[in-house]
Amino acid sequence: MITAERKPLEELIEYIKPFKRILLLGCNECVTVCSAGGRKEVGLLASGLQMAMLKSGNNIEIRQHTLERQCDPEYVEELVPMINDADAVMSMACGCGVQEIAMRFKDKPVFPAVNTTFMGASERQGVWAERCQGCGNCLLGETGGICPIARCAKQLMNGPCGGSVTGKCEISDDVDCAWQLIWDRLKSLGLEERYMEITPAKDWRSGGGSGPRKIIREDLAE
Amino acid sequence: MSFQTRLAAKDFIVLAEMHTPKGINISRLVNDASRLKGRVDAVVIPDMDNGIMRMSALAGGVLLQQQGIETIMHMYCRDRNRMALQGDALAAHVLGIQNIIVAHSTDMSESDHSDAKPVNDLDETELIESLGTLQKGKDISGFDLDGSPDFSIGCTLAPFSSDEELAASLTAAKAQIAAGATYVVTPPIYSEEGCSELLEKTKHLGVPVIATVFLIKSLAIAQYIANSEPGAKISDDLIRRIRKSSNREQEGIKIAAETILALKENAGGVLIQTLGWEHKLPDILEAAKL
Ligand code: SF4
Ligand code: SF4
Repeated sequence: MITAERKPLEELIEYIKPFKRILLLGCNECVTVCSAGGRKEVGLLASGLQMAMLKSGNNIEIRQHTLERQCDPEYVEELVPMINDADAVMSMACGCGVQEIAMRFKDKPVFPAVNTTFMGASERQGVWAERCQGCGNCLLGETGGICPIARCAKQLMNGPCGGSVTGKCEISDDVDCAWQLIWDRLKSLGLEERYMEITPAKDWRSGGGSGPRKIIREDLAE
Repeated sequence: MSFQTRLAAKDFIVLAEMHTPKGINISRLVNDASRLKGRVDAVVIPDMDNGIMRMSALAGGVLLQQQGIETIMHMYCRDRNRMALQGDALAAHVLGIQNIIVAHSTDMSESDHSDAKPVNDLDETELIESLGTLQKGKDISGFDLDGSPDFSIGCTLAPFSSDEELAASLTAAKAQIAAGATYVVTPPIYSEEGCSELLEKTKHLGVPVIATVFLIKSLAIAQYIANSEPGAKISDDLIRRIRKSSNREQEGIKIAAETILALKENAGGVLIQTLGWEHKLPDILEAAKL
């Protein structure tokens, strides 16, 4: 999933200060799962903003709405009947959702309420960790299912570096060394010889090196 | 007189572009450059311009400085992060290079290493600003330097093929001038016809505009540019002129010289670009009476 974290309230207040009527949007997908921008967080932020604004003597009207999927134009259409009642939109979706709103409603100021952070997985309650950087040419089949791009601090393709100590990465004792994990996995799969093969310099074209990427499925595209 | 003094005095600047080798054979670079000694204000050394991996501009610039030729080194943001860029800038100063053009970089996808990972940690405006910061004795992170460098900094006008693109290029150039660039180098002009319009459109920038004059080496090149670059202003007449010429090489040199002469009145200077025909630079200078 795409993970995100709420921006500090002060930053959000700066955004909405000039406006009276705000449409505060949530998204039911990734940001709901990582508790950053679902229906519940929309409600909490709305009251937080309202209180903060009241304290500074400003009365604002906040309408709350959570879309099924904000990065999908089909669901964004749902906002048509309510958009004109708002001076500005604040979105708690990831950057993709925020941009979808900005593209659809060209004359409406749109502000992000979260910092979109990474593609990751939940490690345990309340903890998410980065797992993938969308390099466009997945190597997991070669690396025992552990991504050296997203999980090795140096993005080594032929790791580990000299800083790997007792399974931890040199940047912090809290971070597992991806190459230790890769080695352990390959070993348990009986694929140690794979580790000895030298991986050539990666082709980054598929990873965004050639600019913004697009997927066009001829069989589906209209 | 140094390039910087002449730039400040608003003299007509004459620069020549010379590429470093793709390899380690530097004899051509050094020979070609030594023939220009005293004839141009400085030699501009692009880095991995046009996305071609080659010997770094820093090394090329230092080589020519050692030969007593003033150089201007290109820097740009595609291949190096802020640490590497600052490190190179400090090294350049220490090794005698005092002039930097912060250049627009060709996209990695168009390079001869299109699979490489682009860096783009800073943009050109930020790079110019950080060179200014170094000159004030600090690095980008605010740490003190032990001795600060001194540079003249130029910027480039990004290539454009429509009025909208030109407007965007001019906006970017303005930001770069505000950040500290003291002159701007235009994309290539191919003939006299291209001059007045470009100068008109760039005069409000408020800094010397150095026009890049491109040597048309053959009929095929002229036709290629005319077809592939809509804004190039290579007219049918010009193509006819080259086709009819009994000495097309010489004709190209003449056209470049005429372009330079046409620029002499209103431009801040010229940068002569020959892309591989650096040995012809003295002939162009001769023909342009420079
Ligand atoms: S190899 Fe690439 S696609 Fe696969 S998990 Fe890593 S970043 Fe993602
Ligand atoms: S210690 Fe491991 S994860 Fe950390 S940088 Fe080195 S190889 Fe990568």
